[in-house]
Parts: sequence; structure tokens; C-alpha cells
Amino acid sequence: MVNFIKDRSSRWTLPADAWIGLLVIIIAVAVPFVIQSRYLLGEVILALIWAGVASQWNLLFGYAGVFSLAPMAFFAFGAYATAMLSYYLGWSVWLSIPAGAIVSIPFSLIIGLACLRLEGVYVALLTFAVAQMMYLLIVTDTGCFQQIGGSCVQFTGGATGFSDFGDFGMRPLLHQYWMIGNYAVVCCGAFLTMLVSWIVIRSPMGLAFRAIRDNPGYAMARGVNRFRTHLLVFGISAFFIGLLGGLYAVHFQAIGPTVFSLSQLLFVIASVVVGGVGSFWGPLLGAVVLTGADEFLSDFGEYRSLGLGLIITAFVVFLPRGLVGEIVHLFALWRRKRQSHV
Amino acid sequence: MDNRRGLLKRSAGVGAASIGLLAGINKASAADAGKPIPVGSALPLSGIAAADGVEYRNGLTLAAEEINAAGGILGRPIQLHIEDTGNMGPVLTTQAMQRLIDRYNVPAIINGYNDATNMAEMDTAADADIIFSHYNTLLSANTKFNSNPKKYYGCFQGCPPEYYYGVGLLVYLKTLMDEKRWTPANRKIAIIPSSVEYAIVIANAIRDKAKDFGWEVSLFETVPFPNNQWGPTLAKIRQDTPGVIAVTHPLPQDLAQFALQFTPQPTNSLLYMQYGPSLPAFRQIGGKATTGVIYSTLIGCVPDEFSEQFRHDYTQKFGPNSTYLTGSQTYDALWKWALSAAIAGGPGEPYQKAQAQKIAQVMRQLVYRGTSGTSRVDPDGQSAYCYPTQTPDPSLGMPHQFLQVQDATKTPALIAPDLYAQAKFVTPPWMS
Repeated sequence: MVNFIKDRSSRWTLPADAWIGLLVIIIAVAVPFVIQSRYLLGEVILALIWAGVASQWNLLFGYAGVFSLAPMAFFAFGAYATAMLSYYLGWSVWLSIPAGAIVSIPFSLIIGLACLRLEGVYVALLTFAVAQMMYLLIVTDTGCFQQIGGSCVQFTGGATGFSDFGDFGMRPLLHQYWMIGNYAVVCCGAFLTMLVSWIVIRSPMGLAFRAIRDNPGYAMARGVNRFRTHLLVFGISAFFIGLLGGLYAVHFQAIGPTVFSLSQLLFVIASVVVGGVGSFWGPLLGAVVLTGADEFLSDFGEYRSLGLGLIITAFVVFLPRGLVGEIVHLFALWRRKRQSHV
Repeated sequence: MDNRRGLLKRSAGVGAASIGLLAGINKASAADAGKPIPVGSALPLSGIAAADGVEYRNGLTLAAEEINAAGGILGRPIQLHIEDTGNMGPVLTTQAMQRLIDRYNVPAIINGYNDATNMAEMDTAADADIIFSHYNTLLSANTKFNSNPKKYYGCFQGCPPEYYYGVGLLVYLKTLMDEKRWTPANRKIAIIPSSVEYAIVIANAIRDKAKDFGWEVSLFETVPFPNNQWGPTLAKIRQDTPGVIAVTHPLPQDLAQFALQFTPQPTNSLLYMQYGPSLPAFRQIGGKATTGVIYSTLIGCVPDEFSEQFRHDYTQKFGPNSTYLTGSQTYDALWKWALSAAIAGGPGEPYQKAQAQKIAQVMRQLVYRGTSGTSRVDPDGQSAYCYPTQTPDPSLGMPHQFLQVQDATKTPALIAPDLYAQAKFVTPPWMS
């Protein structure tokens, strides 16, 4: 009975995760010492943010089976809430970032109440529609909420968005090394997101997510409420995605409606696909690989997008388990082979 | 009394003097001779603005070739490095600029425009103490500069901000009426922006100043960006005919659609658009329906004697379908920076604040006559002065050019400012 929700690799998962986690932390600490370029450090920051968002989407889709296309809506909500709280109320970003993450929860629950009674592709369609509706509401907001000089500021920032609402305060503190300070903050945020993901996945709550995903009928018969469980995972992921949205807005000191673009959403989804759907380390590896590939392809001008598309297609066709999935698969094959020899 | 010929003669003198000045300075210094100077540009070479991005690259290429042929900057040739900003926005644009700084050590970045960036790229430039010149045509760039002039000392907007489109239109309409060249059907104005900052700021400027010029806003309708379905908006216009229709949405293909959907059942209104019609796609798509449309641009090659050589060289090099109007912007910007760097004693490198400040100081002082008219820095926002809305002296401001499509098969005619005009305003066919 319990077998279907028990991770087959549970005998080695914990120590393996601990070792990988340690390695990741060592690499993260070493990065600012190895990378001197602000640009490359900026790319690493962006990869970490997308890795965090992808890990939450992985929690939603890979573990709980909710095919939601709302992550960029949560991301934007957290980012806009952070920007607006600092811009209009003058809050420190250190206060507005967690506040933005917290208000993302009720926002996600409202969306969840409307969408999560549906299943599969219908959830995807409705959540995508919500994100697009948010985009349209923002860009068509033209009413003057504030007049600054000759410029009109709309309540939502309109098509312009918000900028200069505050930063992490690293420039006066670290001078030319301010980017390292930003890196440290984003790193902490991304790792916190992933740590909580890991705890959720390994907890009874995570078991319930997987049970609903793998056999909803059976899980419901055992007393797991599908709607409530999906609502819960929606709320958890919205909090962390909103947090990352706030970090993103403050790092770039700007947020605008371009954050709703389809390419951003596809990058998050592609990170999970490349890394491996339903594998904990997959989103991180996927985001790093795709960011690296994007950087490499940036020298090829207009072929950049084509190259990225080909990479993602190649993974879908030839490595459907994703990188981590393939590594785990190969490791399992090797173990089986070794055991058969013994 | 000033006249067009006199102005052009003086302008041509200034232009020739600029090139001569560069050659003279080059003779005086041979330090680091031959070592290329990397100059960066972050342009939208793919995505929705790719057509403009390519022209911006062309303008830079031509200017770099001419500067290098004149001996470069203090004997050092310019080497261009261009990064693609794709669909633009703050992330892609700042990443591209940071890459130029880190990878190529560029002391200056000359951009065209990058949309929806919130001017975040000014921080990237300021953090690295480089000179940053751009044509975003945004009032928010001025506002950001004014928020901290010490930080953004090296950031220059090569043209006036878009705000002057709005005020400039009202000034031009007043001129038409004062000189009895046009009598409006009524004093109502319909304003139609799309949901982008650029269009909205212009629309707001018209709306906010309309009353001062005796106009009543009869319709203010924001359409999505992009938008080619104008039926509902036109229905409102036809219900309450305005004397003037001002469409501030900038995309040429959409504006052509507006003209196509407006002309079958026109109203007795003057039809004004901005910037978009200056691109060939407007007339190519709109055809005869575009005849009579008035538009304006705050920045672009003035089709006068001064720019004749540039237009010839540009078209020869990049083909008859190239748009020198766009390429002229980065062409002028690179020339102005090169002259300023030479006068200041060299281009410097990123993070060399003292040298960057010297160059910025020269750029502020140098009144440069380029192919787009006179570029003089307004200290209030560090953008170019606008003539005639902001300064009455044409030798001290960039002309806000009003053009009219008088024959859809030919290049539109420059009808204002009078000093530069090649033709007179003609009553649109649907009004006669």
C-alpha cells in the first residue's frame, strides 16, 4: 500500500542529497572568488533566481501534478508588490520583499480557488489566462495616479513599470563589489526556496502531493483531499516564487510588464524539462545549463534563440528524463549490473 | 534676420570644423597610437525592433569608418562591439551593456532605443563610470538624471524627450491657425495612445496642455500595443467628430491600418501621428490612404544640404531600402562622443571616473551640428534641446520635424519648422 508513494531510491537519497547540497554550497561560496566579471556574476544571479522559480514549478507540476502556468504571475505579483510597497509607502526593500512574498499567498489562493477545481490542461489554460489578464490590466492602466515632473505614474506603473524604489544597499557598503553583496542575498533566497522545497517533498505533505499526482482516486480514498492539497502547494510555491520576484525586482531595480513575457515562462519550464521533471536537483541543473547555453549562444546573434530551441527539443526527444533523471537512471543501471556480477 | 541658407552655411561650417578639429587634435597626440578603442552598443538586433536595430548598427558602422579614416581618436581607431538586446526590457538591456563593459572594456556605449527598460541601463553605465548615449526618447531618462546628476553624469539622451511631441503638436497647430493655413472644423481633439510609456507620455502632454491652447479633449482612448483593429475607436471618433485626431501609438504597420480604416469613411479632422510614419512600412502598407497624414519626429536626419553626403554614403553602403533616418541617430552620437573624447584627451576606460567626467563635461559644452540638426545638452535632464518648443534659436536646438505624406509614392515632405521646410502644408484629400 505504501510502496507506490515510497521513493524507490530512498535508501540513498538522503546522503546523496546531503553530499550534493554540500557541493552546491561550496561552489556557491567559491563563485565570487572565481568570477570577477560583474556580467557573469549577474548571469549567475539570474540563473539562481530562475532555478528557485523552476524548483517551485517542479514542486507544483513534478511532484503535485498541477499543470499550472501561473508561476510568472506569482513572480510578477511578488515583484510588483515589493516595488509598490517601497515606491508608494517608502518601505525598506528588506521589509517589502517578505511582505510581497506573504501577499502572494492570498493572491495564489484566489487563483487556486478558481482554477484548481479543474484538471490537467484546463488548469494550464486558466492559469495562463490569469497571467495574461494581469499583463493587460497593467499595460492598459493609463490613468495618472501620481505626477512626477512631467511624467505620469500609473498606480500599477502601467507599461513603464517601476524603477528606483530601493536596493539592497550594497553599493555604499561594498563599493565596486556591490554585485557580490547582491549575489549573496539572492543566493540565500534561492537556497532557502530550495531547502523548503526539499523539506516539503520529504515530508508527509510531499507524500500527499505525490499520491494525488500518481493515483488521485486511491489517494482520495485514503483521505487526501485533492483540492485542498493542490491549494496548499499553490500557496507554498506562490510564497517562494513571490519572494524570488521581489529579489529580482530589487536586484535589477526595475520591474515592468515584460516579466509576463512568454519567453520567461518557457525558460522556467525548460529548466525543469532539461534538468528533469520530478527530480529535486533537476531545476537547478537545468537553469544553470540553459543559462550557460544562452551565454555561449549569445555570440551567434540571431541564431541564439534557434540554438536554445534546438537544445530544449533535443532534451525532450532524446533525454526525456532530463539530466538528473538520466544520471539517476544510469547510476541505477550500473548498480544493477554490479549486483548481478556479485 | 535668419534664413535657411544662412543657417545651412553656418551649419555646414560647424560640421566641417568638427572633422577638421578631430584631425587637428590627432596630429597633436600619438600616444597609444594604433591601439583600438572598443566602443559598445546594445541594440535590438532580433525581436520586434530589429529593423531599427539594424539601422542603428549601420549608423555606427559608417561613423566608425569615417572617424577611423580621419585618424581615429588621438590616433587610435574605433572598434565596434555590438550586443543584441532581443525584445529589450531592463534585464536583457542591462545584461548586454554589462557584457560590453566586462568583456570588451568599452569606455562608451552608444545605443539607439531599447523599450521598456525603466532606464535601468543608466545604473549599469553609472556603476562602471562610462559614457552612455541613447535615443530612448523618454522623459523618465531626464527624471532619473535629475534624481542624482552626480551619479548619472555620463548618461546622455541624444534627442529631446517624447514629452515635446505632445507640446510641439499644439505649438504647430497654433502656427497653422495663426497663419491661416488651416481652420479646424471645431476645437475638439481626439487623443489615441497605446499602452506603452512612450505613447502615453505624449498623449498626456497633449491632454494636459490642450486647454492652454484652446482645445477640448473629446476622446482619450488607450488601445493595446500592438493594435491593428481600429474599428471601435473610429466609431467613437465618427460619433463626435474632432478637429484633430492625434494617434500617439508608434508602430508604422498599425498606423497604416488606422489610415486604411479611417479613409473609407473619414471625418473632417486633421490626422496626426508620430514617428511611425517616418518608416517606409507605413506608406508601403497604407498606400494611398496615407496621403494627407501629418506626422512628426523629434529625432532623425534632416533632409537638407548638410546631410546630403551622409544620406548618399549611407544609401550607397547599405542599399536603397536602408533607413538613414534611423541610422543617422547613432551616427551623430558616435561622432559627438569621438570629438568629445579627443578634446578631453582620450576615451579612458571603465571605472576611470576622472576621465569619464572630463568627456562628459565636453559633451555638455559641445554644441554639435549633426545630420539630425543641432545637438545641445539641456542641463535639466541631460537630453537634447528641442527647437522650437524649448528654444527659439534653431542653432541651439534639435528641430521637431513635421512632415506630411503628400504623395504616397514619394518621400514625405518636411513642412515645419519653416527654417528647414521643403514644402507647405497641404489640406488632406478627405478634408477638401
